[in-house]
Formats: sequence, C-alpha cells, structure tokens
Amino acid sequence: MKTNIKLSSKMHLFIIISSAVVAIGLMVGLICQFVANGYFNYGADWASYKSVTVSSSIMEFVDEGEVKEVCENAFKDAGVNYYSESWGEQSGDYVGNIVVYKFTKSTNQDNLKKAVEKIETDIKDKAEGNLSQSFASWHDVDGLLGSGKAIWRGAVALASVIVLHFIYFAVRYKLSMACAAALADVHNLAIFISLLSITRIPVGSSIVAFAVLTVLITAIGTCFLFDRMRKNNKNEDLKKLDAFELVDLSANESFKINLILPACLAVAAVVLFVLSSISALSVLSIISPILCAIICFISCAYGTLFFIPSVYSRFKVIGDGFKKKQARAPKEKTSK
Amino acid sequence: MNKVKSAIITALLAAAIFVLAFFALIPWSYNGGIKTFDSFVQYIHLGSEFTGDAYVMLYPEGVISTADYELVANDAENDDSKEYALKYEQCGGAYVEKEKIGYVYDSNKEEYVKSDNAAEIKQAFIDSIAKDAAVLSKRYAEKGYTSYSVAVEDEGFAIKVTVPTNFTYADYKNSDGSLSDISHTIQYFAYSGKLLLKDSDSKTAHSILPSTYEDASSLFKSISVYSAAGNYSIKMVFTNDGYEKLNDYINSGDESSTVYVYVGDYNTNLNITSELFAGVSRNTLHVSFQDANIAKTYAEDYAILLNSARTGNYLTNKYNEGSASSDTSVIALTPSFGKNAAIYLFVAVLLAIVAIIVLSIVKYKKLGIVNALMVLVYSLAMVTALMLLEIQVTMAGVFTALLGLALLTFTNFRVFEAVRKETELGRTISAAVKTGYKKTIATILDMHIILIAASIILAFASVGELAACGFIFFIASVASYVLYWFTRFMWYVISSLAKDKFEFCGYKREVYDDED
Repeated sequence: MKTNIKLSSKMHLFIIISSAVVAIGLMVGLICQFVANGYFNYGADWASYKSVTVSSSIMEFVDEGEVKEVCENAFKDAGVNYYSESWGEQSGDYVGNIVVYKFTKSTNQDNLKKAVEKIETDIKDKAEGNLSQSFASWHDVDGLLGSGKAIWRGAVALASVIVLHFIYFAVRYKLSMACAAALADVHNLAIFISLLSITRIPVGSSIVAFAVLTVLITAIGTCFLFDRMRKNNKNEDLKKLDAFELVDLSANESFKINLILPACLAVAAVVLFVLSSISALSVLSIISPILCAIICFISCAYGTLFFIPSVYSRFKVIGDGFKKKQARAPKEKTSK
Repeated sequence: MNKVKSAIITALLAAAIFVLAFFALIPWSYNGGIKTFDSFVQYIHLGSEFTGDAYVMLYPEGVISTADYELVANDAENDDSKEYALKYEQCGGAYVEKEKIGYVYDSNKEEYVKSDNAAEIKQAFIDSIAKDAAVLSKRYAEKGYTSYSVAVEDEGFAIKVTVPTNFTYADYKNSDGSLSDISHTIQYFAYSGKLLLKDSDSKTAHSILPSTYEDASSLFKSISVYSAAGNYSIKMVFTNDGYEKLNDYINSGDESSTVYVYVGDYNTNLNITSELFAGVSRNTLHVSFQDANIAKTYAEDYAILLNSARTGNYLTNKYNEGSASSDTSVIALTPSFGKNAAIYLFVAVLLAIVAIIVLSIVKYKKLGIVNALMVLVYSLAMVTALMLLEIQVTMAGVFTALLGLALLTFTNFRVFEAVRKETELGRTISAAVKTGYKKTIATILDMHIILIAASIILAFASVGELAACGFIFFIASVASYVLYWFTRFMWYVISSLAKDKFEFCGYKREVYDDED
C-alpha cells in the first residue's frame, strides 16, 4: 500500500487536531478532577467501591449456584446491580466458600443493607440447619492506595526511554530527526492520555504499562519512517526534490508498515476482548485494559502516520536552511 | 549446501521444535495416570486478571469482623453474647469496641454512654488506621507486585490488602496453589511498633540497645535485600556506633550473648548470634537462609519490614490479634476476567501465532515457512524464558510479547521485500539475499538497539507490571534480533532443497539466469 497523501501541506490541520484533542482532554480531565471522580475515570483497580461479602464456613449443602441464586434474587429485590463477582475458597483452619460482589460507590447504602439482610435470612432458611456458619456483610471501600511508586518509577523510566530515543537518533540519524522522534513519543503519549480522559474509559493500574507500550510502538514506527527518510536523502535522484516532497514520499513509502503494526495489535486486542468476554460472561470487568490497549494503538497510528511526518517536514526545512547557512559561512569568511 | 546436509539440518530443527512444543504445550500423565507432567505454559506465573487476587482483612485491636461478632452475639448459649451486644457498635461491615470510639461504661446504667470528646477520639482512631494503611502501602510497594492495593474500609475501621496470587495455571487449575508466601508477607508487614533489639525471646525480654525507651534505628545505616546468583540474604549495615555497641554486648563477659530483633512486641526470629556477628565485614552483616525455597520471600519480607520500622514508618495499631473467624485468613478469589480467562488468553495468543504463520505462507509461499519456523521458535523461546525466569504475565505483558512477535515478523518481511526488490533488478537469489540483508541491516540494528536499551531501562528503572513488561520486551527484542540472522541461515538451508529458488520465495523471475 503506497499512498499519495500530501502530509506536509496538512501540518496545520494535524497540529489543530492534536492540540484540540490534548486541550479537550485536559479540560475534561480537570473538570472531572474537581466535580466528578478524578482526572481519569478510575476503574476497579483504583476506584472506591461498595461490596457485599458472603462467607460460609463449614459448608454442607451450599454450592456456588445456590448461593448465587440467593444473592442475585436479593440484589434484584433491593434494586442494586453489581459489576463484578468473584469466588474464593477459605483455606487453613476454616473450610468454606466466599463470594464477593462489587458495586459502584454511588450504590444506595440502605438498599445494600436490605439485600445483605435478605441474603442472610434466605441462606439460613435454605440450609435448614445444615449450614453451621454463614455471614453476609457489606463494606464501603475507600481510597485505594497502591500504585504510587509504580507510577512515579514508571514516569522516570518513560522519560529515560524518550531521552535515549532522542540521543540515539541524534547520533545515528540527524538532529532534526531526533527532535521529531522525541516529539513523536511525547505527542503520542499526550494523545493517549487525552483520549483516555475524554472517553472516560475506566483506567486501571495497567495504564502505565500501556503508556510504555505507546512509546515502544512509536520507537519502532519512527525507526521505519526515518530510515526511509535517511535512505531517500542519500538517493541522488530524490535529493533534487524539495524537503516537503521528500518527506511526503518517505512517509507514504513507510505508511503501510506503520499502519499494519498498530492495526495487527488492535485486532489481537479485539480477539482477546471477545474471548475474555465469553470467559467472564461480562463485558464490564474486562473492558478497561482492552479499550486502553486500543486507544494506545490508535494514538500510535495517528501520531506516526500523520502528525510526525507533517511536522518533521518543517524541521527538515529549518535543518536544511541551517546547514546551508553553515556551509556558506566559511566561504564568506575566506572571501573576506 | 548439498541437499542431504540441508535435509538433515531442517529435520533436526523441525524435531527440536516438535519436542520443545510437546513439552511446552502438552501436559501428559505417567505412572498409570497417577502423576501428571504439566506443560511449560502451565508453569508460567499469571497476573491477577487471569488467576485472581488474594486478599486479607486487617482489623485493628478493638475491631472485629461481622463473622467474629455474629459467632458470639447470635449464639444464645454463649456467655459473652450479651456483653458483645453491649460492648460493640456496628461500623459498616465491622464491629468496633465502644471504648475505642469515645464511649465510657456507666456502671449505674449498665451501658456505654458517649463521652464529651467521643467525636475526637473516634476520629483519632480512624486517622491512626489511615496512617497505618499508608505505611502498609509503602511496604507493599517495596515488594514489587505487578498490582496490589491497600484500602481502608468499613467507615475507616478496617484495612483490606489485595495482592496478585501469582499462581501458575497449574496451581490455579488444580486449586493447589500455595498462599504461604503471601501469608508470610501479610503477617510480617502487619507487625506494628518500632525496631528493637532485645536480650531474650521470652515474653519478659527487654530492650538492650540503646535503652528500653528508645528504638534501635540509630544503630543501623540500612537494611536491604542482597541477592547474588539466585541466593538471597538480608544485608544489615551498622553505623560505627551501632557496630561498637553490638560488639560490646555480644562479646562482653565470659559467655557470648545473642541479640533478638523485634518489631514492637513481635519477635522476628532473626537472632544475631556471636557466630553470625563474627562474619561482620565493614560494618555489614549478611543473614542468609538455609531453605532456598523460602529465602527470597523471607529475605524481602524481613528487609522491607525492618527497614520500614528503622526509617520511622511503623504501624501504631496491632492487627488481627485474637481473631476467631476465617474472615482474617488469606483468601484467593477467582479472576475478574472469569474462571477460564487463562485458557481464553492461550487461545487468543495461539490465534495470533496461527494468523501470522498463515499470512507468511500466503504472502511468501515456501519462504513463508521459514518465517513460520522463526515464529514458532520465538514463541517457544518466550514460553520457556517466562517459565524459567518466573516473570508474571499480565494483560500488558501479553501485548508486549505480541509486540515482540510483530517486531520479528516485520523485520523478516522487510528483508523479504528488500530481497524481492533486488531480484526485480535482475539479481540471482543468493546475490539478492546478500544485498537485501546488507541494505536492511542498519535499520534493523538501529531498531533493535533502541528497543533493547529501552527494555533494559524499563526492567530496571521501574517496578511491578512495568518491570515485568520490560523484561518480557528485552527477551522479545533479543530473540527477534537473533532470529533475524537465524532466518537467513534457515533460508539458505531450506532453499537448498528447492529446484527453483524464485518459486520457493514466491518472487517473479525477471532475468532468467542460472543462479547456481
């Protein structure tokens, strides 16, 4: 696939699109930070929530299905909806099962209490004396602490990778390409973060890992893009083209490979999402990391395919102008 | 290369892939079906999305769970049932002793009545629990879990700690995963109080250094984990003053003494004997563990706990003291992605591999088989490395491994295209391969150097899930580069069997030269 898009002439359009996305993301994030539940829509990993725990020690009759039926009827009667259900087994001195239902923070507390009371009564009625111990309780979970260190260490690692990317390109390619590569990293990250903020997709602790994935995919994309530029720069026939034409040609030649990489990963994410949905029998609990992944790939594709080639064309013009000036300066000196 | 040699090498590689794939993917029974050999894939540690979380409830002294309360209060035959109903107040899913939240017992009325400053006392108790939760969070952060959370719940009177089970699929499937490491960590991290050195392990033990009323923080410069060649130990660095004081105590008198390391009232069972102390070099003492299976967990737990207490980050409340019910034991829950999430993950990855293999063969005919072989080698190498290095694979980790697979495939496709262009110029296959590789090496090398360096930074500069992704991508990038060259070798070997090398590669012959 070789395209004929004149990317360099559309630089202003891409800058406007990117700026608008980042500005809207910032605005939505800041507004939500002050009036809603935070800059991002924090998912199950970080969000405060309410839960109902039904634990049963020394079980004699109850299987998962029966407990589930009792709980679901109670929730239905009380008018509350859970978003996650997990089963566990107690080990050690106590034998039995435990089931934890998670509800959003805004769930009505009184309704939850009613549901808990009904669960306790119904389980005891059903057990008909066989069940030695069973307890249902509701919990209000606040202020999850946990990923602070991972985030700041991740941010340091990300910054180091961007600096490394810049230095390597400055040494092996050109300074203008190094600037564009570093800009690509920062731009794609900013778009990724802004899209998460705008779409209010629930984000979890894996957001840092996907931010890193954004930088890694961008690094691969810039390698393909600037390698094409470097080769075309060396080509005697293509050297005659002006900076904009050369950049457009190189961007179009590397368009296919830079589109296919994120597209393939996005397809893998969709497949994983479909299979996980079947496994979990729910979309809510798995949507967060999959949508994070898809937004990561969209950000990379947009940044590497459209934004960076168009901006680099200006960098190249400036770089070439500076080079000509430098080349002229010694001649002028000697003539004087 | 002659055809016999080529056939032997190809057969050997195919056999090696087959054998490795058998051990990597297929579990089998032996000894009459009594014993099972789990495949390598089943031994990969999976993140909480796939094998679930383990959690524990921590109740401070004076707070009990609903189960603990109801066990007594609802038991009419229990003598304490009335006292419980009188003594405790429900706060969310927990029951709090009324004295802890500002009530005083009025013996005339025979009930607890609120004191004037009840609100302040209650708030101070809640604040102390929140502070403890923050300290616990710092301790767990040092452990490097891919994900964990420390949450305050039940109106601020209980703490819930959640960590990944780190089960392999074999553990998860057979429900025989051990939670003993997690239990040890949770038990030790919940120790409250300052760092103390005592003269005995009995209840009457008293602090020796510097005095009963001071902690021992000033005696240590640092306490950390030391690991070398898979061996783990606790590295204690004493201050000059600390070393002298300990030396005076241990080696004074006719009989040498032992120093017992405590955190608050808890004996850590870490005893500094005279023999151990004799090994101090440059004020540094290494305490190692005999049992290699527990060494890592124990060394980390001790070092993190002692260093946390040393730096003033200690818990002020005691947790889960005298709890009666199972509500305070460690519980492993099913994963959020569903019970069979790990199987579906395996199917999804398998689909991705099959899709790449089919694409390779459709696009490059028999040459695609060479790429398919490399994809299989990459996948098996990744599975084996993840199993041996015990790296925990999360959702982001899966995408990182897939990115590595894409990197390998794109690298090979780029070379194949470069060679195709060379053949279109009229070159023979062998000349085109040589030139094609020469022309692409700069790009491929640059890309791999950047990615390998980036993955090293990620692996060592970050923690948790990110560090795991860094390690996975390091393996992926190195494998991709090695297999880039191996592709060339296998291309040469396998194509030797073909009569028409252009047809083998799926290229069109532009100039009909004799390429041999």
